[in-house]
Amino acid sequence: MSYDTDHVQNAGGTPERITGIHAFTDLVDNAALAGLYTTIRSKGTASGPELVDGADVSKKTVYDYLRTLASAGLITDIGEENGATTYAAEDFELTLTVRDVTVSITPALVAVLSHREEHPVIDRVLEEHGLLTFALAHDLVMDHNEGNVTIRQIGDLTGLSSGMSYDLVDAIYTIRDFAETASSPETFTPANVDSDQHDVDVTEE
Amino acid sequence: MSAGEQGRMYTANIVDTVVFRSLGKHPNPHLDRLKNAVEEAQTEIWVPDLIYEELADHGPDGTVTNPYLDHGIEEGWIRVVSPPQPDDGIGNADKGHIAARAWQEANHILDSHSKYPTTNNRRDGSLVALAVHLFAENKRIRVITHTADELLAKALTIIPSEFGYHEVVSRYYHPPRSAKQTFPTVDSLTWDR
Repeated sequence: MSYDTDHVQNAGGTPERITGIHAFTDLVDNAALAGLYTTIRSKGTASGPELVDGADVSKKTVYDYLRTLASAGLITDIGEENGATTYAAEDFELTLTVRDVTVSITPALVAVLSHREEHPVIDRVLEEHGLLTFALAHDLVMDHNEGNVTIRQIGDLTGLSSGMSYDLVDAIYTIRDFAETASSPETFTPANVDSDQHDVDVTEE
Repeated sequence: MSAGEQGRMYTANIVDTVVFRSLGKHPNPHLDRLKNAVEEAQTEIWVPDLIYEELADHGPDGTVTNPYLDHGIEEGWIRVVSPPQPDDGIGNADKGHIAARAWQEANHILDSHSKYPTTNNRRDGSLVALAVHLFAENKRIRVITHTADELLAKALTIIPSEFGYHEVVSRYYHPPRSAKQTFPTVDSLTWDR
């Protein structure tokens, strides 16, 4: 059955039961929980013992987190492999709108947040500027990777200082492995930049 | 600019904030490598005053220090310049100051190609203005620019050309942290490399 009400839309079938809403917000605050979810999502499927082997937290904590994620519907038990329960991650988008400002928490954002202990700037941005600014800055770094904004514009648009903007750009580029294999620097010359279209033939160093 | 004054073609290297941030504060081995590369390449590092301010620490007693640049400035291989601004209230751009007009043009190009047109930061434009300023003030000069913003890197080649200065190349560091290894080298600081 399809629903299209003010609060529920689905394309068919019975709506899945959503419980444990705190697990969604915990993904923002708890790097280990975010890391567990992100690991399952990036692997496609993962068993409990596999996850315990790669975790920085205790076996008990891993299984507690798996229960938390499963009860929220963020991961699904897809059966047993070699006697161990195997899980798959579910995509989600949690959208919050407050005073006409909307912020979406997605698996991509959670994946970056799971690295907050390796990159202290993530915590600094969250603590000093909040989740909305962090999400905005994250998306602007994606735009920077596409060449659509400058790092200074990221600072202007988010209110982050010049130093914090650079540190966050560096952290997100590292986490996402942007252009890790590209030759750098690329060299632009008047001959290879089209001033009308900004198309460019790049000479790699 | 001793080389240019002696009749030899001089190469100036204009460097953006992000490149210095990737190298880190003085003292560190990356800045030592940069100093050696600058010496070997017979060049100098040029920085607009707005970039100096952006990287500076402001003490509570009003003192301004710059942990990225001061050491190189004292040793003479980093030079800070104030290109004429287009919006300083005395109409530099209208009076025909070519660097001020280049700064205006940079604002226009960055605005028109940016996803967020109204947020262009004038510090981006100051790098373009400095490039054109150096061309206008020196006859035998080439300019290499170094930045980690694609839009700005392209503007740094397009705009000097529009003013008749074609001896310019722009090095674009992507990801920004790659500058730590590839910027402080003779190759990156030298023309025809």
